[in-house]
Amino acid sequence: MSECAIEVKNLCVNYRGLQKYSIRRNFFTFKRKKVEMFEAVKNVSFTVEKGEILGIVGRNGSGKSTLLKTLAGIFSPDSGTIDTKGNSVSLLSIGVGFQREMTGRENIMLSGMLLGFDEAFIRQKEAEIIEFSELGKFIDMPVKSYSSGMYSKLAFSITAILETDIMMIDEVLSVGDAKFKKKSYAKMKSLINDQNRTVLIVSHSSDTLRKLCTSILWLHDGEVRKIGKASEVLAEYEEFMK
Amino acid sequence: MNRFFKDLHKYKNYTIYASKSDLKSEVAGSYLNWLWWILDPICFMLIYTLIFGVIFKAAELYFPIFIFIGLTMWNFFNRLMLSSIKIVKNNKAIVSKVYLPKHILLIEKMGVEAFKMGISFLIVIIMMIFYRVPVTWNVLCLVPILITFFVISFGFSTFLLHFGVFVQDLRNVVQIGLRLVFYMTGIFYNLETRIPAPYSDYLEKLNPVAFLMTSMRKALLYQETVDWLWLGIWFVVGILICMLGIHTIYKNENSYVKVI
Repeated sequence: MSECAIEVKNLCVNYRGLQKYSIRRNFFTFKRKKVEMFEAVKNVSFTVEKGEILGIVGRNGSGKSTLLKTLAGIFSPDSGTIDTKGNSVSLLSIGVGFQREMTGRENIMLSGMLLGFDEAFIRQKEAEIIEFSELGKFIDMPVKSYSSGMYSKLAFSITAILETDIMMIDEVLSVGDAKFKKKSYAKMKSLINDQNRTVLIVSHSSDTLRKLCTSILWLHDGEVRKIGKASEVLAEYEEFMK
Repeated sequence: MNRFFKDLHKYKNYTIYASKSDLKSEVAGSYLNWLWWILDPICFMLIYTLIFGVIFKAAELYFPIFIFIGLTMWNFFNRLMLSSIKIVKNNKAIVSKVYLPKHILLIEKMGVEAFKMGISFLIVIIMMIFYRVPVTWNVLCLVPILITFFVISFGFSTFLLHFGVFVQDLRNVVQIGLRLVFYMTGIFYNLETRIPAPYSDYLEKLNPVAFLMTSMRKALLYQETVDWLWLGIWFVVGILICMLGIHTIYKNENSYVKVI
């Protein structure tokens, strides 16, 4: 197993000069504000092999989510390259975008189509998603009437069942009640055991990462601090965070 | 450009499905449901007919249909323009979670509005039968007029989408601008007879909405053919605006998510 799934080279992502502009404000203040530049991800390079589970750790604001969003194609890199070797990529994070007025069932369809699946395939998987999400009759109610737990359960189920080659998970391993947590953990485990799936997980829970991941990437202020075996990096990270 | 058509094809299913569920969710919460799509333009037509037909004594032939066609087309244009300003922000939940070419959102919105416009045009047909408007082959001009109308609207909305992301109070400005255009477009009066000679021509030819609206009325109600030269000019201009707009969106769409 040395086939490459993701190759990232010298990746930089900046937030710069994109402040909002208001006609009213510019009318009254003639001074232009200086453009601030913020480098969220600096010169990050790494490769992920096929079937590998990579955990990403780091303090708040160290660029973890930005990195995932860039890999998912939502942001474009300011410099550097990302090569996902033609694999389909999906990003799962808290509160995936649902249309609030529509029912859970329609939202499954919409989310699935956004991930690039066709209608027939989603119909086929629909029952499985509904069953996994434990929503029962609520599936035909508008999403706005859902509790936050039900919301995240549905979001998790959609991404977990509609499998993509590369899954990126942003802090969602702790959704739902204790029972659902156990179930989603087991599901993650089985997804991970699939040799063809590459998974990137962002989490603050060292325990979860230790159990799930094969290797860990530690980001610090947008730079790679350490990358390597899960147990080694996590031990050092925990030491650092004390 | 190639990329535009490829994306269009790739997200075709999503666009259609999203438009449908948009329409569905719009009617889900109201009492009279889809009846509003019919009632809304009819009520406004009655108001304008009353005010301008009875009080200001406007005397166009088939005045209610005259206003109805104007309102139908204006509503489409107006709604699309206003919603495209905030369209990226309103779809933040989707846009920040998955990559989607941003103009797909516009096309989805156009689908929704075009459906409503379709209903209005059905009413126009019913009214034309009711008023016994003589029909000639000129009615078929409807098709090229509508195509040009869609192209022009899409072109403008791509730019509003782009600037709407960065300029916070664009909506206020556009609203004022649209109101001005509303009065200059001649929705409830005839530009050609109400405004002195050279100016009426400028207003009509240089404002694509006014031009297309007048052409539509002429084709449907007054058995006249379209000014093909100007229709062609506006079609080409519309295509150019679209290309420029799509190019701008592709170039900048990745930074949209960082701003909203």
